[in-house]
Amino acid sequence: MNTFKKYSVLVTGFFIISCTEVIDLEVTEAAPRLVIEASLDWNKGTMGNEQNIQLSTSTPYFDSNSIEIVTGATVVVTNMNNGTIFNFVDQNNGNYYTDSFIPIRNDTYKLEVLYNNETYLAEEIMTPVADIEALFQSTENGFDDEVLEVNLRYIDPAGIDNYYLFRLQKEGALLPDLRDMSDEFTDGNSTTLFFELIEDEEINQEAFVAGDKAIIHFYGISKRYFNYIRLLIAQNESGGPFSTIPVPLRGNCTNMTNEDNYAFGYFRASQVVKTTYTFE
Amino acid sequence: MKLSTLSLLFAILFSTNLFAQENYTISGLVKEASNGETVFGASIFLVGTSVGTLSNEYGFFSITVPEGTYTLVVSFIGYSEQSQKILLDKNLNIDFEITETSEQLDEVVIQSNESERVNIRSPQMSRTKVQISTIKKAPVVLGEVDLIKSIQLLPGVTNNGEGSSGFNVRGGAVDQNLVLLDEAIIYNTSHLLGFFSVFNADAIKDVTLYKGNIPAKYGGRVSSVLDVRQKDGNNQNFSMTGGIGTVSSRIAAEGPIIKDKGSFLVAGRGSYAHLFLKLTEEENSASFYDLNLKANYSLNTNNKLYLSGYFGRDDFNFSGAFENSYGNLSGNMRWNHIFSNRLFSNASLIYSKYDYDLTLNIFLFDWVSSIENFNVKYDLNYYVSDRFKLDFGLSGIYYHFDPGQINPTTEDSAINYMQLDFKKAFESGLYVNAEHKITEKLTAQYGLRYSNFSRLGGQSMTTYENDLPVVYNSELGIYETGTPIGERTYDKGEAIEKFGNFEPRLGMSLQLNDWTSVKAGYSRVAQYIHLLSNTTSVTPLDVWTPSGTYVKPQLANQYALGYFREFSSKELSFEVEGYYKTVDNRIDYIDGSNLIGQNTIETEILNGESRAYGLEFLLRKSEGDFTGWFAYTLSKSEQHTPGGLAGGLGINGGKWYSSAHDRTHDLSITGSYKYNAKWTFGTNFIFQTGRAVTYPNGQYTYENLQIANYGDRNTDRLPAYHRIDISATYKPNRKPDKRWKGEWVFGIYNLYNRKNAASISFGQNRESGANEATRTAIFGIVPSATYNFKF
Repeated sequence: MNTFKKYSVLVTGFFIISCTEVIDLEVTEAAPRLVIEASLDWNKGTMGNEQNIQLSTSTPYFDSNSIEIVTGATVVVTNMNNGTIFNFVDQNNGNYYTDSFIPIRNDTYKLEVLYNNETYLAEEIMTPVADIEALFQSTENGFDDEVLEVNLRYIDPAGIDNYYLFRLQKEGALLPDLRDMSDEFTDGNSTTLFFELIEDEEINQEAFVAGDKAIIHFYGISKRYFNYIRLLIAQNESGGPFSTIPVPLRGNCTNMTNEDNYAFGYFRASQVVKTTYTFE
Repeated sequence: MKLSTLSLLFAILFSTNLFAQENYTISGLVKEASNGETVFGASIFLVGTSVGTLSNEYGFFSITVPEGTYTLVVSFIGYSEQSQKILLDKNLNIDFEITETSEQLDEVVIQSNESERVNIRSPQMSRTKVQISTIKKAPVVLGEVDLIKSIQLLPGVTNNGEGSSGFNVRGGAVDQNLVLLDEAIIYNTSHLLGFFSVFNADAIKDVTLYKGNIPAKYGGRVSSVLDVRQKDGNNQNFSMTGGIGTVSSRIAAEGPIIKDKGSFLVAGRGSYAHLFLKLTEEENSASFYDLNLKANYSLNTNNKLYLSGYFGRDDFNFSGAFENSYGNLSGNMRWNHIFSNRLFSNASLIYSKYDYDLTLNIFLFDWVSSIENFNVKYDLNYYVSDRFKLDFGLSGIYYHFDPGQINPTTEDSAINYMQLDFKKAFESGLYVNAEHKITEKLTAQYGLRYSNFSRLGGQSMTTYENDLPVVYNSELGIYETGTPIGERTYDKGEAIEKFGNFEPRLGMSLQLNDWTSVKAGYSRVAQYIHLLSNTTSVTPLDVWTPSGTYVKPQLANQYALGYFREFSSKELSFEVEGYYKTVDNRIDYIDGSNLIGQNTIETEILNGESRAYGLEFLLRKSEGDFTGWFAYTLSKSEQHTPGGLAGGLGINGGKWYSSAHDRTHDLSITGSYKYNAKWTFGTNFIFQTGRAVTYPNGQYTYENLQIANYGDRNTDRLPAYHRIDISATYKPNRKPDKRWKGEWVFGIYNLYNRKNAASISFGQNRESGANEATRTAIFGIVPSATYNFKF
């Protein structure tokens, strides 16, 4: 549960008398794997026909060179309910694109990637998302009562399991913030999530001020993807004494030719609400 | 085989009784003269014979020998030897009062090191007693004397590093230690996440750690027993002790209720709230306090009552957004009854509880959880003859687990009320243990414990397809929750699951000569309750769970072999012990396990096994101006968790992996030097192999983030841990008749300011986007000053 994870991060903050220091360290280098970032994101209220899938390979952990793109692969998505086939065209820059995709809520889609004579397969259900009921700013809702945060309120559909992903980013910031949420403890309720930035000189981060823009993506996700992204998020802020022992992260893309050579990444199909909030 | 052990036992008991007819018994109590505290572990010895014994936890001893004239000597390290001529022509009852050899501030503290001579002969191995005065002399972080940190200086004992709770014994996990404070189970030994221990040294009388060869009277944890006993209180005079330190202060008062009949002790301790975090601008705070209580009263020579209690609490507050409070509470009533000069008994009624409360104001909810137990025990010591002593007894523990309750804190909170299922269990034990001097050279300790555990009903349990709460998804190569197919409700009177285990214990000592012995030990121990923790270090928020349908009792077998020798001066002793330990049914957590608010723990775990082996060396000097020890351990601790019925290869691809507390090398040197009457100096040196951890072996881009990929479990190592601490104790001149006695303790922890890694975390720099390894070091160099007093 997200809130608890945040708590454990704060417990780690207890070690304020402790000192943290970036150090040089040697780590082992595993053989590269294919990375499939296949996110069929259907922006609510749009056709959702334009879709892009990215292929790359993994690199050594401290390798600062940018992404190792993969070209020459074949990427096909099939709607398993009606048999429609969508061919994604190699853009020769790691992207595979189509403008003819047809998203249908709760339909099952299959991804097939042929790369290096090996076939990778994954299946996912196009998962709907609730509406954003309200988007408003405040100071009293976050960790710090003196700085601005933006609040996102939605109503969780009661009686069914719902899983959400939030992608939050200050306009101009290098990296997004991912948050996962299930309705395990909040089923059927009006739920509010806040996005706040705490000033941190070390990474040159400042709190929100009037005029700043917060880019918000609100995804409905499947349970399996929730389990995946929850672990991804947890491990991405991991390593403190109270974080869970990190483990290999397995997505849903299996290698049909060579089982052990599975791909990193995930094939997701999600409805998403994208919005931007400008602070006043 | 078990039956034959028992019958052998009774045969011996019977035969010894036959021969014991013309014998007489000397029995009594050993006490400290100045304050009337009973002494545990004093040696009572008849000169010119090989007959001797040790006083028990309540100071009682009994020796039965043929009629005659003897010289009886009572000795105890740090105390003057007492001898007395005895004409034994009838049963005698004599209480001995011993006095300390040197006048120290520590005189209020009974030192509890048994006579080395008896130690050589005793079949008990893998046991260490630490003198509270030794603990007090060792340099400590932030000036607070810490029992848990001190035992980590012993061979075979480590922990997960600074800022982690608990300790690990012989490659065992933190939850595999039975920690007893006046017989009450303590579930969390740490204050402030391991910076301090819950034991206030001013209230503690003696500390015994069993790393293996655990006597039959203990059960329930597979790795060790830490038996901590509180002082009874001075029954001669009212006195106060205390200390004022940079981080915390303490005060204790003790005195007679009725002189020579009864006494009390009250000790309190508290940190100056908000100590660490107030240093920053944030409104965060962390603090702890605790309270120890003890009272005893002798109804007559054969009956004595004890009351004791402990209450401790930690409080954290993170700028009002989060509040967290947790602690132990225990209470105990005991009745010592001496049936005869050869039969001593103690009955105990014990209650203990650990609970925490986490309020997340920021998310408008509150989370509470607790474990509670009621414990009844009856233990007897029967001194059959000078060659044979029998301990036997029984115990029953009723547990109540509240794994968690969530409450919304406001009307508009999005959180729903939720109560995880209460769990109840009853654990009982029945044991008999004999200490048997077979020949002049060969002594044995053999016993049997039968333990029984019932997971009680009054709750419903989820049932799963094919009875599998965890299944292997071979397509994705992951373990997942099985398919629930229903629920089975168990009535209050019904047992969900029952377990019973015979636990044989055996120890042998073969004395090669007056100064050397070889010992061997075997023990089998069952553990029925388990701490659920999938984090690198255990946290105060981890939850205990009882064995049941899916979580089986852990079963340990430990074999140990040791060589013990003392050098002619008897100041110096040397021990080597080797051990091999296996634990069945050690659970581990599947990749991506989620234990928070988890009502069905069985869906997150797989059953596995663990093993540990090692070699421990201890060279100790326990008398003279210079005292201390050199301890070195070479060891290995591993885990293996196959997929079993769930399918698949298991955790870590079914391969053995290092447990998080595996430490190849562990070296501790501690020393204390009394320079003169005013100054005493102390030092520690510690070197340990770094903790086994998992580092990333690759990265990839996903959602515009650099994602680390991790390989096999615990294949990497944190950098080695080492540090030196020093301390100096200054006792100002004082007139011998002056009541007020004070001393200053100055200490420097981590003298050369080594940045020992408590953890190394991996992440992306949010400004540059580059991957970084960040080391967290808890303590650099930490100076401290404490003023201790007594009046």
